[in-house]
Amino acid sequence: MKRTAALLAMVTSGALLFSACGSPSNAGNSAAPSNSSSESAAAGQNITLWLAGSDTPTALREYLQETYKKKTGGTLKIEEQTWGDLVTKLTTALPDPNNTPDVVEVGNTQSPTFTNVGGFSDITDMYQELGGDKLLQSFVEVGKVGDKNYTLPYYYGSRYMFYRKDIYKEAGVSVPKTLDEFNSTVVEIAKKNPKKIDNFSGFFIGGQDWRNGISWIFANGGDLAKQENGKWVSTMSDPNTIKGLTQLQNIYQNASKAPATAKDQSPWLYINDTDTDVEKDATTEEVTKETPTKLGAATIMAPGWAHWSIGKLTKVKDEKTGKMKDAREWDGKVFGVYPLPGNDGNPAPVFAGGSNIGISAKSKNQEGSRELLRIIFSDEYQTLLGENGMGPANSDFNSTLGSDEFAKALIDSASNSKLTPAAVGWAQVEDKKLLEELFSKISTGGDIAALTKEYDAKVTPILNGEG
Amino acid sequence: MSSIAAPPLAQKKRKFHIAPYMLILPAIIVLLAALAYPVGWQIITSFQEYGLKQQFGQPPEWVGGANYVKIFTDPQIWAVILRSIAFCLVNAALTVIIGVALAVLMNSIVKGARLVLQVGLLLAWAMPVVAAMTVWLWLFNWYSGVINWVLGPAFANHNWLEDPISFYAVATIIVVWMSVPFVAFSVYAGLTQVSGEVLEAAQLDGANGWQRFTQIILPLIRPVLMIVLLLQIIWDLRVFTQIQMLQDAGADYNSTDLLGTFIYRTGAGSANYGMAAAMSVFVLVLTIVLSAPYVRSLLKEDNNG
Amino acid sequence: MASQTLAAPERAIENVNVKPATRAVTNPGQRGAQRRKLFKGLRSIIAILLALVWVFPVYWMISSSLLPTAVLESGTPRFFPWGGSLDNYEAVFEMGTFWPALRMSLTVTIIAVAACLLFAFLAALAISRYHFKGRTSFVLAVLFIQMLPAEGLFIAQYKMLASLNLINNALGLAGLYTASVIPFTVWMLRGFVAGVPADLEESAMVDGCTRTQAFFRITFPLLAPGLVASGVYAFLQAWNEFTVALVIMQSEEARTLPLWLRAFVQASASRATDWGQVMAASTLVAVPVIIFFLLVQGRMTSGLVAGAVKG
Repeated sequence: MKRTAALLAMVTSGALLFSACGSPSNAGNSAAPSNSSSESAAAGQNITLWLAGSDTPTALREYLQETYKKKTGGTLKIEEQTWGDLVTKLTTALPDPNNTPDVVEVGNTQSPTFTNVGGFSDITDMYQELGGDKLLQSFVEVGKVGDKNYTLPYYYGSRYMFYRKDIYKEAGVSVPKTLDEFNSTVVEIAKKNPKKIDNFSGFFIGGQDWRNGISWIFANGGDLAKQENGKWVSTMSDPNTIKGLTQLQNIYQNASKAPATAKDQSPWLYINDTDTDVEKDATTEEVTKETPTKLGAATIMAPGWAHWSIGKLTKVKDEKTGKMKDAREWDGKVFGVYPLPGNDGNPAPVFAGGSNIGISAKSKNQEGSRELLRIIFSDEYQTLLGENGMGPANSDFNSTLGSDEFAKALIDSASNSKLTPAAVGWAQVEDKKLLEELFSKISTGGDIAALTKEYDAKVTPILNGEG
Repeated sequence: MSSIAAPPLAQKKRKFHIAPYMLILPAIIVLLAALAYPVGWQIITSFQEYGLKQQFGQPPEWVGGANYVKIFTDPQIWAVILRSIAFCLVNAALTVIIGVALAVLMNSIVKGARLVLQVGLLLAWAMPVVAAMTVWLWLFNWYSGVINWVLGPAFANHNWLEDPISFYAVATIIVVWMSVPFVAFSVYAGLTQVSGEVLEAAQLDGANGWQRFTQIILPLIRPVLMIVLLLQIIWDLRVFTQIQMLQDAGADYNSTDLLGTFIYRTGAGSANYGMAAAMSVFVLVLTIVLSAPYVRSLLKEDNNG
Repeated sequence: MASQTLAAPERAIENVNVKPATRAVTNPGQRGAQRRKLFKGLRSIIAILLALVWVFPVYWMISSSLLPTAVLESGTPRFFPWGGSLDNYEAVFEMGTFWPALRMSLTVTIIAVAACLLFAFLAALAISRYHFKGRTSFVLAVLFIQMLPAEGLFIAQYKMLASLNLINNALGLAGLYTASVIPFTVWMLRGFVAGVPADLEESAMVDGCTRTQAFFRITFPLLAPGLVASGVYAFLQAWNEFTVALVIMQSEEARTLPLWLRAFVQASASRATDWGQVMAASTLVAVPVIIFFLLVQGRMTSGLVAGAVKG
């Protein structure tokens, strides 16, 4: 399903570029239907939208607020919640009719937990109107209970590789074309360590970083869990999963110098030169020698927007204040990107980051909330998402991501991306940090067969909400 | 000192008074209003299976003492309990010892130095926990922390939070750093009540520093010490924010969990509120047991007085 | 009766007096005095060094808040903020979220401290001035409430405040804080109230004051340092707390400062942690407390000392 959607996007992207961007007025009419009856019901409803994290840029927020005002006359209040506290807050606020946010962005992997207990309104009747099968299907799937849609994709942002061209060159390796090649390349770089930096990683991956680590499971045809007779079963100890974990262990042990307890936070720190010793010629003021004194890794895996944090440190003029401030500037000569390759020549299936969006079942402003969803899934907003580097929910708009190397890597890596199981208890598996533990233990050389058996036994009951 | 607590009036007037009841009434109303429902809910929920479904409106299921049985039979929970007790005792003891030492020091130095020490402790005390933790986490950061830099190349990229023992050492440093000022100031306030003449007289009598400390100062500050120690035990047993923020900075969760974080993750994280409630009730009982000797002697002093 | 504080030390001296013979021998001469002075100096130096240990994280926070993140990220730490600027603070203020959070924190804290001091003081008066039926139970209850673990309570607290329509409301949070600090404040004040001999009041009453007059003229001034000390404690608790606030204050405009700081740190971490700005934000949260402390500290200790000597 996902594959077809993505394929469709690729094939039609050229044409869409014109239909979506060339004639915006026309496109606007088609996707945001001026259904007068629903608009009048939504009239004057003041609603609250919870956005998770700071991923949605200010311009997009303002667009939502202005458009909502125009369409309904009501005000839209946007509140940003942090990812770390989102589940706690949803747990208390969603069941409370007086204080529930009306529309909520929720992590795609957290969605099943709340849809299964009835936290979200049934929006099956809007599914076709909001994009239908054009919507990213793996995300639609985690928002479903049975045949009914409760949450829909908001945006995606899959992860790909950022690498140091200079170090790859000095180590005499090229960008790997298959997963096996990748596995051996990063070990080779770590061994050669061309810049002779202490604790240098060919590929930096934290011991607890299962979100990136599961790509190796997926790429080897393994999975985290499967459904058997209506019950979820954890499949860590399946042969394919173990194969992936074994490759990962090799990387942990021989290519990565990350701590066993490091997570996937800010990996770009390690690929940037954080400090440079510069020696200048006394008379000509010419730089004679430049030595990076702190660099951690040749390769990292990160979401696309990480490239704003990668590069040479320079002064950039702040648009708002007109002051000079420090910023990283991407340097195509030093840095490059590529999607993690699979062994079949396609990009490897990586973890699809991103989030879903839905209407709180207890919200008193159902009509207004539905109107907001119409705005979010309109051509204009989907285009805005793409233009801001966030993978649009509607695959017709993938082209709006642009055509630079980041857009290409994002679309390629997303074309094959996968999600965590749509089980009731998945959010609990995450919150109990079971995967962090398992991956951390594997990273320090633990016995994979025994560990996966142990964690299968722990995870299965939680998946079915029996933990 | 105990005799101070003697309410002289009370001894004379033993007849029934409405006044004291009126005086405690506001406090009781506030406490009841804020705590009766939550505590009652907690006790009831501890006998139920109460998860996210119940939170969204389904009726909870009574499970009797099942949650409590699990506390006593789950080795992982026992590990958390034992670790918490050990952490609490070590931290409370260190805090009180260092606090008393600093208070005594404060009492025996020149005014300028005393002011510097007081302001220093005050600044540390005034640091909001979240702000202090943010700074400490950065100081101990494995990649760019100052502490690794100061310790030299051998500690380059050393991750202090990876090994549970060193994790607890870091946590102890932070917790003690945060709690010592309170102890030092409380004890110092107590020390200032020891009149200098008395100490001088003792010195003339040939009592050395240690004797003066154990035989004059210690008995005098005993009431302050007792309360401070009791509070430290209570607070350190429930230490939460510091551990949670350290864990989030990169540590193995299950081997570093203490009661506070364990209860929070059982409840908020795993949506197992019944179990979390049972654990909370258990912690309450545990605290009462741990502090029973102090409470008893505090009460005794209170009543004798 | 008023000199009871002195009674205990006198008893203690008798214990020390076990070796009267040494009295004459160690009669401190000039050399002894010099040595004592030397030791005092040494101790003072140690004290200053210890003060540095305690201050270092605070210093590091402030110093880093003045430096650009590029400098902070470099491999070599910079121990002095040479070339620093207030840019980080400007950036933090620019977001415009600090002032509302400060206002919310101040509102919650002031309500909580005032309510707590008043109620706790009355209760302390009751348990230190009267023996009444139920007194011991009350004292015990107050102690045990201290021991309730807060981490399991928040769902119920939310439900309760939601039913009272007090979610995202300063009053609701202040109420919870008041209840959580009252127990300790009662304990603390109880000691202070007991330390002021009731005889003083009585003698004032003999002199023709009413009980209330006697209380406000005699007892209250003596209690001031105790109230300040308890107030400081209540202030700190209310100012710092964030677990309960996290659940009760969900909307952005209802954020207290610790929540604001936490959101700031997390938002920063999800992109690239801007250490300079994070440290500036931390400093901003700490500054009001530091100011408050420096204001009351002198009063607290000097008041304490005065009260103790007179008592």
